[in-house]
Amino acid sequence: MSNERIDIPDYSSLFAEERYIQQRENKKQFEAPCSDEAKAEALAYSKSAEYLEKNFERKAVVINPHKACQPLGAVMAALGFEKTLPFVHGSQGCNSYFRSHLSRHFKEPTPAVSSSMTEDAAVFGGMSNMIDGLQNAVALYKPEMVAVCTTCMAEVIGDDLSAFIGNARQKGAISEDFPVTFANTPSFIGSHITGYDSMIRNILAQLFERSGQAAAPGTGEEGEKLNVLLGFEPYTGNFAEIRKILNAFDTKYTILGDHSGNYDSPANGEYEYYYGGTKLADVPKAANALGSLVLQKYTLKKTQDYISGTWKQQVASLSTPLGVKATDKLIETISELTGLPVPESLKEERGRVVDAYADSHPYLHGKRVALAGDPDLLLGLIGFCLEVGIEPVHILCSNGDVEFDDKKWKAEVEELLASSPYGSEAKVYVGKDLWHLRSLLLNDPVDLVIGSSHVKFAAKDAEVPLVRVGFPIFDRHHMHRNPIIGYQGALNLLTLIVNIVLEQLDNNPSGLVDLVR
Amino acid sequence: MEPIRKEEIDDQACGSLAPKSKPCPRPKPGEAAGGCSFDGAQITLLPIMDAAHLVHGPVACAGNSWESRGSLSSGPSLSQYGFATDLTNNDIIFGGERKLKDSIDYIAGRFAPPAIFVYATCVTALIGEDMDAVCKEASERLGIPVVPVNSPGFVGSKNLGNRLAGDALLQYVIGTGEPELEASMGVNLIGEYNIAGEMWDIEKLMNQAGITLLSRITGDARYKEITWAHRAKANMVVCSRALLGLAKQMESKYGIPYFEGSFYGAKETTYSLRQMAFLLNDREMERRVDRLTEREESRLSHDLRPYRKILKGKKAVLYTGGVKSWSVISALKELGIQVVGVGTNKSSDEDVQRIADRVSDDTEYIPEGGASRIIKTVRERKADIMIAGGRNMYVAMKEQIPFVDINQERHKAYAGYEGLLRLAKELVDSIANPIWKLASSPAPWDKEGSYDR
Repeated sequence: MSNERIDIPDYSSLFAEERYIQQRENKKQFEAPCSDEAKAEALAYSKSAEYLEKNFERKAVVINPHKACQPLGAVMAALGFEKTLPFVHGSQGCNSYFRSHLSRHFKEPTPAVSSSMTEDAAVFGGMSNMIDGLQNAVALYKPEMVAVCTTCMAEVIGDDLSAFIGNARQKGAISEDFPVTFANTPSFIGSHITGYDSMIRNILAQLFERSGQAAAPGTGEEGEKLNVLLGFEPYTGNFAEIRKILNAFDTKYTILGDHSGNYDSPANGEYEYYYGGTKLADVPKAANALGSLVLQKYTLKKTQDYISGTWKQQVASLSTPLGVKATDKLIETISELTGLPVPESLKEERGRVVDAYADSHPYLHGKRVALAGDPDLLLGLIGFCLEVGIEPVHILCSNGDVEFDDKKWKAEVEELLASSPYGSEAKVYVGKDLWHLRSLLLNDPVDLVIGSSHVKFAAKDAEVPLVRVGFPIFDRHHMHRNPIIGYQGALNLLTLIVNIVLEQLDNNPSGLVDLVR
Repeated sequence: MEPIRKEEIDDQACGSLAPKSKPCPRPKPGEAAGGCSFDGAQITLLPIMDAAHLVHGPVACAGNSWESRGSLSSGPSLSQYGFATDLTNNDIIFGGERKLKDSIDYIAGRFAPPAIFVYATCVTALIGEDMDAVCKEASERLGIPVVPVNSPGFVGSKNLGNRLAGDALLQYVIGTGEPELEASMGVNLIGEYNIAGEMWDIEKLMNQAGITLLSRITGDARYKEITWAHRAKANMVVCSRALLGLAKQMESKYGIPYFEGSFYGAKETTYSLRQMAFLLNDREMERRVDRLTEREESRLSHDLRPYRKILKGKKAVLYTGGVKSWSVISALKELGIQVVGVGTNKSSDEDVQRIADRVSDDTEYIPEGGASRIIKTVRERKADIMIAGGRNMYVAMKEQIPFVDINQERHKAYAGYEGLLRLAKELVDSIANPIWKLASSPAPWDKEGSYDR
C-alpha cells in the first residue's frame, strides 16, 4: 500500500461532517417541514399507551412485515438436495428477491432460475415459459433435478404445473426420466416455512415414487436407521452440530434436506454451482429407516404427515432444540429411536455447558426480553430463556398461525411459559408485525430483544440492544456458521447474550467500569 | 441548445415515450434473471423520503425487500417503512379494494405523509383491482395525493419499472405545485437516487458552481419539490436508460431541454457541470463552472497520483447496467485501469454505443447474465478485479477474485471528484488486501496444485 494515506470515510462518517450538516440545514427551507414541537408531539404520541391500543386495533395495513413468502422457503428446500436447481415459475423479480435475500443472509451465491413470465403469459398461461425455461435451465446449469415452485402470478392464473411438466417431456424439452419436482407455493398463503415444507414433502414423495419401491420401515439393508429433517434452517452450523451429535452415537443416518453444502462452500478458486446436499439416491433408501427425527415440527407439518402416512415411519417431532433441556430431549429421542446408549462425549459436553450457565447466570437472571421469529425457533428460545432465568415478556410470531395437527402453536407456547415462574409475564402475539413490536417495546420496556436484523429498527427506537438470532441476519457476519442447537449451540447462545449484557454494563451512564465480571 | 428533433424521440428502444422498434429486452425463461418492474418502480420512487409507499399485494413483495436499499435520507424516513396490504387467499377471490382503502386511510391518519404511492403487484394486476379508482377516491376524500403506480412485476424488467414510475410522476405529480422561491435558474437531476449519499456530493458541487438544484428526481427528495419540477430550466438525466422517457416528455410538454450525463469520473463530472451551465445560458455561471472544475480536477489529479501508480495497467471486468455500464468505464480509464470485459445485458443500444466509444477494440462484451459467464471472462482475460452488484459478489469470492460492489447496496459514494478518489482507494484496497494472496497460494501440503491466479 502507498505511504500517502488519505482518509476516505464511508457514508456514516462522511456525511456527519459539518459541511454536509450545513448543507442539509440549508435545505430545510425547501422542505416545509413540521415544527420541531409538532414532530416531538407526534413522536411522543407514537410511543404512548393510547397509541399502543390503537396500533393493536389496526386491521388494514401491515407495517414492517416480519415474514418472507412461500417460494423463498421452497428455494431453500430445493438447495438441500444434490445438484438440484430451484426453478421459480412466475415473474422474474420474485426470483431475484429470493436470491438477494438468501445471499445477503448466508453471504454465499444462490443458484436459482426463473421462468420469467410476462404479460403474454398472464393472458395465455405460462406453459411455453415453463417448457422453454426447463430446456434452457437444464442446458445452462446442468442440474440432476429441477425443483419448481410457483409465485403468486402462476397461482392466480391457475397454471397446471403437472400438465406443463408433462408437456415439456412430450416436446422433448427434458428427457422422460429427468426428475422434476414441483410445489404450489403462492405467497398469499402461509410464509417461507410453509413453502419449505411443501417443497421438501414433494421432493421426498417424488424421488420415492419414481424409485418404484414400497415402504418398509426398519429394513434398510445398508444400516439406515434414522432420518433427520432440520426444516427452514438459517444456521449452516446447525447441520454440522447435528452431525457431530449423531456421529457421537455412531449411528447411520440421512439428513433429508441439507443446504449447508450450498451455503457454506469453500473459496478454492472455482465456483461449482452445486455443493453437497442430500443425495437423490438416498431418498428412497431413507424410506426404509426405522424412524425420522424432525427438528421443526411446526414448519414440517405436511412432511411429517407424509413420512408417517406413506413411509409408515415413526416420527419424533421437536422444535429447534435450543438450550440444555431441549438438547437433552433431542439426545433422549435419538437414543430411543436408534436404541443406542447416550455417548460419554455428549454427557461431558453437557456438563461443560451447565458449568458455563452457572458462570453467567448472575448477569442474566431476571433480564426481561422480547422475542421475534418463526414458530419453532421461538419455542426453542423461550425454553432457553426460562432455563437460564431470563424472562420473556413480548413474544411476537408473524407466522405462528400454522395449525399443527390438533394442537396450536400458541397453546404449546403458553404451556411452556406456564411451566416456569420466569414465564409468568409473557404475552404471545400471533400474526402481528414489527410496528406492533415497536409499540410493545416502548410501552413495556425490556432489557434485550432477540430476533432478526429486521427487528433492528424497532429496537433502535426503543433503545434496546438487539441479539441477532434467526432469519434474516443481514447486518452481522458469519453468525449462521456457528450452531445454536445442541450443547455447543447452547453455549454459543449463552456467550452471545451474556456478552451483549456485559457490553451494556460497560456503557452504563454512571461511568463505572469493572475489570472483572 | 437546439431542441431535439421530433423524429429522434422514438428511436431509443427502452427509455422512450413510445417504444416502436423493440420493447425492453425480455428475459429468457430458465435463466437467473434480474429484478422485476415492481422492484424498478420502487427503486425510482422510494427515495422520495417523506412519502409513504404502500405495496398493494401479498405481504412478501414488501417483506422481501423493505429497508434494504442504499438510498439515504437527510431527514424524513417514512419511505423506509414497509407498508403492505397483505392480500391473502380470500382477498384474491373477493378483491382487496376495501383493504386498500382502509390501509390508505390508516396511513394518512397515522403518519400524515404529504403523499402516498400505491404500488400494484402481480396479484392485484391479475385479479383486476381498480387501483386507480380507489386512489382517486381516497385522494379526493383525504386531500392528499394518492398516486397509483401501475408497474406489476410481470410486465417486464427493472428498467421498465423505472420508466413506469417516471410515467406516474409525470401523470400525477409533476406540474401540481409551484416553487416557493424564485427558481429561474434551476436544474432537475433525474435518475440519481442518492445511493450511499452520492447526491449530496453532487449537490455540493452544484452549490459551489452556483447552480440551483430545483428538484431531485428522486434521490433524497421531498414530495413537494417534485411537484414543481416543471419549472426547471434544464433536466439532467443521470441514469440514462430508465428515465429518459420522463425527460423527453418534460421537454415536449414543458419545453425543458435535457441532456444525459454522469458523475462517475472527473471528465464526466466536468462535462455534466459545464452542460448544466450551458443549458442555463449564463456566461457568468459558465466561467464559475470552469474555475471550479479546473481547480477540482487539478486537486484530484494530485491526490490520485499514488493510486494511479498502483492501478495503472490493471484489468477489470465490469458488470452493471444502464448508465453505469459506460460511465464507470470513463472513471476507470481515468484511474489507468483497462476494462477488458463489460456486461451489456441491461444496456440499451445507445448505452452499448457509448461503451464502444470508451473501450478498446478487444474488450469483450458479455451479453447475457449469470455468474459463470462473467467469471469465464475474468479468467480468460486475466482480470485483476471484478466490479459488479451484490448478487454476483459471493461468486467472485468463491473464485478468489477481488471485487468492488457498484450497485445499490454499496456503502461508499463514488460520484464527483471526491467520489473518484474514494473509488480509487476502494479498488486499491480490494486488490491489495492480503487475503487474495493467501487465497490463491496453495496450502503447504499442496504445493503443486497452484491456482490460476
